[in-house]
Amino acid sequence: MSTPVVEVAVRGEGSVLSAVRAALSTVRPAAPAAVVVPAVPGPGPLAELGDDRLDALVGDTLDAVLADVRATLGQPLDRLVFVLPHAPLMGVADGVAASAVAHGVLSMARTLAIELARDGVTVNVVAADVDAPAPGALAAQLGALLGAGGEAITGQEIYLTAGTDLGRARP
Amino acid sequence: MTTTTRTALVTGGAGGIGRGIGARLARDGFRVLLADRDATAVREAAEAVGAEPWVLDVADPDSRREAVTRTGGCDLLVNCAGVLRDARVRRLEPPVFRRLTEINLLGPIALARLVAPDMAARGAGAIVNIASRAWLGTFGSTAYSTAKGGLVGATRSLALELGRHGITVNAVAPGFVETPMTEGLPPEVRRRTLEAIPVGRAGRPDDVADAVSYLAGAGYVTGQVLVVCGGRSIGAPYATPVEEAS
Repeated sequence: MSTPVVEVAVRGEGSVLSAVRAALSTVRPAAPAAVVVPAVPGPGPLAELGDDRLDALVGDTLDAVLADVRATLGQPLDRLVFVLPHAPLMGVADGVAASAVAHGVLSMARTLAIELARDGVTVNVVAADVDAPAPGALAAQLGALLGAGGEAITGQEIYLTAGTDLGRARP
Repeated sequence: MTTTTRTALVTGGAGGIGRGIGARLARDGFRVLLADRDATAVREAAEAVGAEPWVLDVADPDSRREAVTRTGGCDLLVNCAGVLRDARVRRLEPPVFRRLTEINLLGPIALARLVAPDMAARGAGAIVNIASRAWLGTFGSTAYSTAKGGLVGATRSLALELGRHGITVNAVAPGFVETPMTEGLPPEVRRRTLEAIPVGRAGRPDDVADAVSYLAGAGYVTGQVLVVCGGRSIGAPYATPVEEAS
């Protein structure tokens, strides 16, 4: 008898989306799962972040993340993972829009982990430095969060950086 | 010897925390422009604390520009305006989410953009963003938590970008503070909230104002989040969820 295949819903258009899809091709989820990959804006100095641009880059992007989350909650769901680029989470000069979005999603995930615990849904964040020298790390981590045993891991933030962020204060 | 009076713009100045910050900064010697959307309330608050009232809607670009122009040169920006109306994610209406983003996150970033050039030209300035302990996650506060988390991220990035110009950017993250906004909490929610605070009391606006006063003059501190929560953030784990606030 074969084990039914559990599909992972992938939402969002973030820069790490292709890495996430590649990683998920090797993952066998143990429960209904979704991975949200927010489209974090690129760099740009504060002086160029006019009102309309700010609304679009930060406001519209966070709206899209909320829409993705609500869509995932409309389906059977036990595991939810956000995958974010590592750099704006740690903070980058000339990257206020990116950091605002990345941190907004981080805090959204923290709150969702608290809110959805009563529903048996785990919520975690993986911060990926896709340029770090650890190509299998993302697949391994997603496998741990989505696979057997992952039901006990929630509200966590995992930095996959191969140590490139050592010595810096995390948010 | 000449003494130059520094000017502070405090948004959300008619609220409990904003008013407390305005009072403290006035005592510290700042000329304080106390700004709020509620014209009547901000006039009363400004008169009480020795500040100048100004009507400001932080979600309105023209209103933001007018307020910054009124300062005549802002030495300290305190982004304190905020709204808390929120809900669990399953019941959260997208327009409410967007409105909280605009007031709690986009407005503060836009104001930072407006004050930064003048601060940079003088080679000095401070921006203090009033975030919230909800940045760490809070039941029933998806929109508020997201916006305040975004504000923390903006704080870190702005600190890295503006530090070279002599501008510090920090955040204060208050926990439960007794203000008119929290007066309506159900008694059971209040009791459980206070039980989770290690110092055994609710915060006061002055507790937050003390932190702002410190950061306003701490030229070697930037990109930090000062959590003013009576130890709640290191205390007991998140208790059984309380009912949502709205």
